[in-house]
Amino acid sequence: PAAQADDFNVTIVAGHPPVFRWVKHASQTFIPAVNAALEGSGHSITWSEQYGGSLAKVGDELEAVEEGLAEIGLVSSLFDPAKLSVQNVTYFTPFVSSDSTAVSTWMDELQHTNADMQATWAENGLHYLGGGIGIDDYLLMTTFPVNSIDDLDGHKIAAPGPAVNWLEGTGAVGVSGNLTTYYNEIKTGVYDGVIVFASAALPGKLHEVAPYITKVGFGAQYAGGLAANADWFDDLPAEVQDALMAGAKADAEAYQKDLDASVTKFLAIMQEQGATVTEVDQAFRERWANGMDNVAKLWAEKLDGEGKNGTAVLKAYMDTMRAAGATPVRNWDQE
Amino acid sequence: MSPFEIGLASFGAMVVMIYAGFWVPFALMLSSYVGVWAIKGSPVLAGKLLALAAGETISSYFFGVVPLFVLMGYVVSVTGMGRDAFDVANHLFRRLKGGLGIGTVGANAIFAAITGISIASAAVFTRIAVPEMIRHGYDKRFAVGVVAGSSVLGMLIPPSLLLILYGLLTEQSVGDLFIAGIIPGILLALAFGLGIWLTALFWPARLGAGVAADQVESDLSPGGVAAKGLPIALLIGLVLGGIYGGFFTPIEAGAVGALGAIVIGVARRQLTWADFWQVLTDTGLVTAAISFLIIAAQMYSRMLALSGVPAGFGNFVAGAEIGYWGVILAYVALVVLMGAILDSSSIMLILVPLMLPVVTGMGVDLIWFGIVTVIAVEVGLLTPPFGISVFVIKSALDDPGISLGDIFLGAAPFALMMLVVLALVLAFPALATGLL
Amino acid sequence: MSDLSADEGGGADLPGWFRAIRAAVDAVTGALNVAGTLLIVAIMLLVNADVIGRGAFDAPISGVPEMVSMSIVAIVFLQVAQTFRKGRLTRTELLLGWLERRSARGRQALELLFSAGAILLVWQIIAASWPLFEKAWRRGTYEGTIGDFTAPIWPVKLIIIVGCVALFVQLILHGLAALIRLVRGDTE
Ligand code: NA
Ligand code: NA
Repeated sequence: PAAQADDFNVTIVAGHPPVFRWVKHASQTFIPAVNAALEGSGHSITWSEQYGGSLAKVGDELEAVEEGLAEIGLVSSLFDPAKLSVQNVTYFTPFVSSDSTAVSTWMDELQHTNADMQATWAENGLHYLGGGIGIDDYLLMTTFPVNSIDDLDGHKIAAPGPAVNWLEGTGAVGVSGNLTTYYNEIKTGVYDGVIVFASAALPGKLHEVAPYITKVGFGAQYAGGLAANADWFDDLPAEVQDALMAGAKADAEAYQKDLDASVTKFLAIMQEQGATVTEVDQAFRERWANGMDNVAKLWAEKLDGEGKNGTAVLKAYMDTMRAAGATPVRNWDQE
Repeated sequence: MSPFEIGLASFGAMVVMIYAGFWVPFALMLSSYVGVWAIKGSPVLAGKLLALAAGETISSYFFGVVPLFVLMGYVVSVTGMGRDAFDVANHLFRRLKGGLGIGTVGANAIFAAITGISIASAAVFTRIAVPEMIRHGYDKRFAVGVVAGSSVLGMLIPPSLLLILYGLLTEQSVGDLFIAGIIPGILLALAFGLGIWLTALFWPARLGAGVAADQVESDLSPGGVAAKGLPIALLIGLVLGGIYGGFFTPIEAGAVGALGAIVIGVARRQLTWADFWQVLTDTGLVTAAISFLIIAAQMYSRMLALSGVPAGFGNFVAGAEIGYWGVILAYVALVVLMGAILDSSSIMLILVPLMLPVVTGMGVDLIWFGIVTVIAVEVGLLTPPFGISVFVIKSALDDPGISLGDIFLGAAPFALMMLVVLALVLAFPALATGLL
Repeated sequence: MSDLSADEGGGADLPGWFRAIRAAVDAVTGALNVAGTLLIVAIMLLVNADVIGRGAFDAPISGVPEMVSMSIVAIVFLQVAQTFRKGRLTRTELLLGWLERRSARGRQALELLFSAGAILLVWQIIAASWPLFEKAWRRGTYEGTIGDFTAPIWPVKLIIIVGCVALFVQLILHGLAALIRLVRGDTE
């Protein structure tokens, strides 16, 4: 690392546009925090912010950073499930915790401390900075009231990629869908409902077409975080490296606070606008979780086969969450 | 040179190369490659940008069904369903001057309710409408111009890929945006129809000698009208009914429509194996030509994003102290200007997030702003040097007798009419928001 | 089938050895094109099967969006060489046509220059795409999600390279034809 003071040109990339909360905070929290941390160090950064697909589409951020077109990216593990397979552990372990701050904080921690998680970032030429993108508790939103699991029978429910698995064994027909077209497809009747999170449901006005909101307790999720090109990061002066890590930490805190406040507000607004919010009881939750195949186990074994220690990651995540006070409806790792 | 200057220089180089006759996709790629090399100082990175864009740009479900929409249109054309539909239109509009041109606009408006993407409209109607208009004595330039112009209806009348993209960029309800697009879409179709009718009335020579001479004869009986109109009506019913009945999504409609057209064609014994294979091959060639262009445009757009040129202009507009209408009009002008060189989605990806905080601060209705944006962006489909609808028509036409210049000239009056409709939507926001 | 090709003279004036090579290359280009065409039919049937399966039997087909989005990339790159060969890649004929009337050699010289530029670009794409393919192959990168549907992406990455190589060869032949005519100094 060079000792003299330097100005660094940094391109930061995100596939989502800045209206998405995690992109907003990258721009409004992460960058200012890094700049502030650099003050007095003699170093500075000139930022080029490339969001919303201007440089890379959603799910292509990893490659843009790995190949060096951007130095830093908001890398979405959810949309890059093959390359960041171990990071997707939360999507294969529903019913663990509905607290998005807990899930993303502990997942952030695991990215720094768990050898298998670190190995995956390294394998993709990335250095994980932090700023975990927590997704608030996934909800079931339907055109019909759900009082019992039997009510789902034969209904078509759209869900994002890995969440289709959550519908196995419920009698519902899981369809892999796209957030941007849910509204119209529910309206015309292609789908009878969706699995979606509140902070996306309100902007999309999904409660207008699927007014029955059921808090099943699928849980909060981890969808990725800020990562830097590893070769570039390793060559940076220590002060700059520290500033980037500090910026990511500040980003995570601000993002989580913002998210928590919005979720409560959004649910209230949807209710005001005529949606019915119901929270299911523990028996409902247990019946749902126990009726599912153990997709976590299937996932872990597939990863083991790829030499990625899926079983160990599954156990590490579940242990971490239980130690943090979560009471999983189903202990996916202990079967 | 600073990245900003490199971005500007690349634009000049790209225009020169296109007019010199370099294949348009390669002109875009070369500007992009040299530009990234100069900005990032690395030819390796420049190559990587090309390779990543090549694999990523068109890799989506939305885009993947484009060939199926094109295939549906080509099957309609080759089985004679298109010709029959035009005979019916000719019969119905026989007392109306310029009737077939107006009929083409109307048919495009109906097709717009099926497809979410303008290039599908352009490819399909090049095959169905252009030969029929020329057969009925219309001027070639006018025939391709109508098709280019009315192809923009595909993105305004729901479903619309661009409105979905805008919804994603601004967190606006796609459902509201779709409803807001209906009146401006119909208004645009009416403006096109009125423009054609007035031209036929006052400058009939512009439409072609055959039309100017007098109306085309038509001796269809009511039974004949029904017999000729039924197959196409059946197909439209299948697709529209399927979408709005909740059986399939607008994305899936391309596949259902293509298969439906094939079944109808086979049932009427009008689709031979040889025809079918020919149509399939043509579908592939047109799809590949257009996709390759879109990939190249995405490479260019990524280079431009890195150069900071669009952000520079956007920030200038956003930060200028020119008041509400100053900002809105400067924004519209910038979008139309960028439409000359960039593809529709790239413009939205770059400009909308830049403007969003500004217009939100001014209290602008974001649904209205979306419709304004989409109309302004779609003008760019028709303007040189990079006009994707015009390129689609050229590629689908496969006729050396009609040059790119002819199509751009033919489309120009329609681009002007779009600006008129845009002005109306700007002046009367209720046109967009009235149905909400 | 339209006979408008990138080589406007049809090539009858070119030497026998060149026409023999081109015939062989065209056969390969044509075969790739057929593969792309069949893939379009496959996509059509797949989406219809998904719609019918979901609507009539509550049994949608997993992974259709992923399969379609991978296929469109394959279709385009399988057919891009043929698209070029058939003269369907967009270009303006304004200057080229004017040059042709003034000096046929001038046009051939410009064609040669353009071919050379395009060849270098396509080579860059091939060179930069190879590591992407190699990585996808080595890591077994897939689309989709475990438990629902997964498909490896290396075939698509490979097809991108195959299609670009086919385009590369067609561009070389295009440039070579221009060079032969330029050297001979004839007007086609
Ligand atoms: Na449409
Ligand atoms: Na344009």
